[in-house]
Amino acid sequence: MTSVTIAPGSADVSAAPRITGSGRGRAWAYVARKAGLLLLTLWAAITLNFILPRLMPGSPADAALAKLAQNGPVSDATKAAIEAQLGVPTGNILEQYVAYLHQVVTLDFGVSYTFYPQSVSELVSTALPYTLVLVGVVTIIAFVLGTLLGVLAAWKRGTWLDTLPTLAGSFASAFPYFWTALLLLFFAGYVGRLFPTSGAYGPTATPAFTIGFLGDAIYHAALPALTILITSLGGWILGMRNTMISTIGDDYVTFAEANGLKPRTVALRYAARNAILPNLTSFGLALGGVVGGSILVERVFGYPGIGYLLFNAVTNQDYPLMQALFLMITVSVLIANFLVDILYGVLDPRTRR
Amino acid sequence: MTALLEITDLSVDYGEGAGSTHAVNHVSFTLEHGEFVGLVGESGSGKSTLGFAVTGLSKPPARVVGGSILLDGVDIASLSQADLREQRHGGIAMVLQSGMNALNPVRSIRNHFVDIFRAHGHVARGDWASRAAELVGKVELPASVLDRYPGELSGGMRQRVSIALALSLEPKLMVFDEPTTALDVLVQHAVMDTIIELQKKENFTALLISHDLGIVLESAQRVLVMHEGEIVEDAPSRQILEKPSDDYTKMLLSHYADPRAEVVELPGFEDRHRTPAAAHPPTVSSRTRRQDQKAIVVDHVSKVYPAPRRGEPQVTAVDDVSFTLEPGQSLALVGASGSGKSTLAKLITAVEKPSSGSVRFGDLDVGSLRRGQFRRLHRDVQMVFQDPYAALNPLHTVEYTLTRPVVNFTGLKGLDARRRVLELLDTVGLSPVEEFAAKLPHQLSGGQRQRVVIARALASNPQVIIADEPVSMLDVSLRAGVLALLEDLREQWGVSLLYITHDLLSARVVTDNIMVLNGGRVVEHGNTAEVLRNPSDEYTIRLLDAIPNPGRRDVA
Repeated sequence: MTSVTIAPGSADVSAAPRITGSGRGRAWAYVARKAGLLLLTLWAAITLNFILPRLMPGSPADAALAKLAQNGPVSDATKAAIEAQLGVPTGNILEQYVAYLHQVVTLDFGVSYTFYPQSVSELVSTALPYTLVLVGVVTIIAFVLGTLLGVLAAWKRGTWLDTLPTLAGSFASAFPYFWTALLLLFFAGYVGRLFPTSGAYGPTATPAFTIGFLGDAIYHAALPALTILITSLGGWILGMRNTMISTIGDDYVTFAEANGLKPRTVALRYAARNAILPNLTSFGLALGGVVGGSILVERVFGYPGIGYLLFNAVTNQDYPLMQALFLMITVSVLIANFLVDILYGVLDPRTRR
Repeated sequence: MTALLEITDLSVDYGEGAGSTHAVNHVSFTLEHGEFVGLVGESGSGKSTLGFAVTGLSKPPARVVGGSILLDGVDIASLSQADLREQRHGGIAMVLQSGMNALNPVRSIRNHFVDIFRAHGHVARGDWASRAAELVGKVELPASVLDRYPGELSGGMRQRVSIALALSLEPKLMVFDEPTTALDVLVQHAVMDTIIELQKKENFTALLISHDLGIVLESAQRVLVMHEGEIVEDAPSRQILEKPSDDYTKMLLSHYADPRAEVVELPGFEDRHRTPAAAHPPTVSSRTRRQDQKAIVVDHVSKVYPAPRRGEPQVTAVDDVSFTLEPGQSLALVGASGSGKSTLAKLITAVEKPSSGSVRFGDLDVGSLRRGQFRRLHRDVQMVFQDPYAALNPLHTVEYTLTRPVVNFTGLKGLDARRRVLELLDTVGLSPVEEFAAKLPHQLSGGQRQRVVIARALASNPQVIIADEPVSMLDVSLRAGVLALLEDLREQWGVSLLYITHDLLSARVVTDNIMVLNGGRVVEHGNTAEVLRNPSDEYTIRLLDAIPNPGRRDVA
């Protein structure tokens, strides 16, 4: 062979991408970038929450006065009283903005119209724990359980382990929330008398961190929790099953089998480990939605969480309460997404670059 | 001594019952200990299906329906899943076709090795690190790759890692399924060299599955030629090369030639003795038809991309390139991946703007076109893409795909447009035209699809066609047809051709002039036959050497 020989391996080794920076340095840069993005979107959301109501014509006081004016002339004293009660913006827009930012930071969202004279922050802080525990815990349980069942269904594709959860899951999630809630309420509540039908705790209990109260609270949360679990589980099963079936077809899974890895390793560390990544995004959105509560479920079960509060705020046109709740929901979605981004960075080395 | 692998009367079907097809049809062959055997066939020949059956990896809808696969006397086909898994240590290992995707993207290379050691327990825990380092050393990689993730490695490095992983099983038989197909030519060559050396040193038996007879003849002692599910020839490499007995083998061989030879002939291409002076004077008809033909003038063009990551230098994809593509001329743009040839195509088609220098087409300054002027350029300069499977919308019929550019660029409507579409199909040799017009892409073969792509490029009646690796995804037997079509277009219609490729043989048969790019710079430029016969640049020589040459083993 009369030719210039190539040192074996030299051609492709030199073509490898240069890897700069230490792994840890890159990881921190990634977190910093995501945190910066979070702060920026937070600021935008808070500012939008300030601008939007100001784009609407009139003010709450105007609306209240117009309603009164239908019943006859309104005296100046009444007008002054209503304006004092509902507040009329003072100062230019910048001063208002600064004052608003100050209020947001100190969590001062004013006084609720509906539950006057209770402050908005008081109402929210009473309702929040119930929703966080009920919807939050159930969302996590549903995600974990649904993902596991999805993994099993995909790995045992075509067997009863696949068809049963897949069919049952899609069947249950096709029901509207409130319909499942009403069915449970009727059969497990009124007919079976297994669980209480309304409220977060019994009439004799007082909220406190005692074993007795917590047991009572869990007992009361059973039906709403079951409703959310039943209706959301199917989505997680199907989502995980479908992404995993596609990763099972990927070359690295075939290669892992060709190398004789244990089926368990192939299923969990190769197929499922990669399949779970896209599902994390939906999980992040679901987590963010937790704070918004589950309006229909909380309404049906008379559960005193954020969803119930939001329902009351909307039906009573309680602007301060609504504004605070909307802001809180937006912020928690953003934070949940940030956390999922960080988790993504931990689980998927490709995103860290 | 008995054979290592003895395959008798093996059949593999796809599907069941009436709709089933025989992918592998009553195949029998043996592999002796320490042999290096090639298995050659075109797409759909059943060679990969056979490879998967041999390694016990057949998955539905593929089913082994008959025959036996004896490895050292044990029938692989009758083993339970658990026993099959056990035998993968010290039995059969496989390196997959797209080795670049054969690694788990979220696991470090080290953990890939650990998974295998743990599954078979053949390496003591304390030796894991040293054994893994030793294995990547065997495929000429530094131990530092162990701490990398697959996404941080180049394609060639990933393929080397999968070879090392397969090797870690201490196999008696290694099946390589198209191990270098997705890699760049130079890398391909280097990886093949590693495989050949490893086979000698480690003394395993190798079965190399490939569509490329050149690669196989260069490395294997014996070759099995597969066609439509059957092995049509089983003979030593030298015999295949010198006295092939089967017509199909002869056909495959006829598509190989040395681009350095004085006379290069491929089926459909008689030798043309291209010389600069006699480079195809346009025929009278094409001259009258094309009086307004314009040249593409690329003048000191550079393209610099910003640094991919902070702290890294910017990337100069094209570095001070100048050339002129005269009307009716054909120019090959040759280079390995990353040499800047595709960027140059983007600059000429105004997809990208040059960082400096200018690209002109007639009086059009391509680099500074405004909205609305693109149409003028794209009417005259059209692209043919590499992947005919991705270049056509699977939901549209051929007629629809072709009607759109006809209506857009020529203004023909209704029956006239339809007549033009059928004419285009006739030009690219897809007849009966009416039948092809009604088809959807999935009903066409790769070669037919590429003809549709070419017809689409012709719809606007262009003066220049830029073909970016138009045949690299096609089977050898289909390549010549598509290349001949491009050549005809030039001779009959005076269309000039910019042919982008890494395949020097095809460049030799379809182009007058050649330009070799390396790292964005022109390293060689001149008459194709002269440059390839007397290359002056070391890079050109390396490219020429990297071409699989059936006769090379013979020479060596």
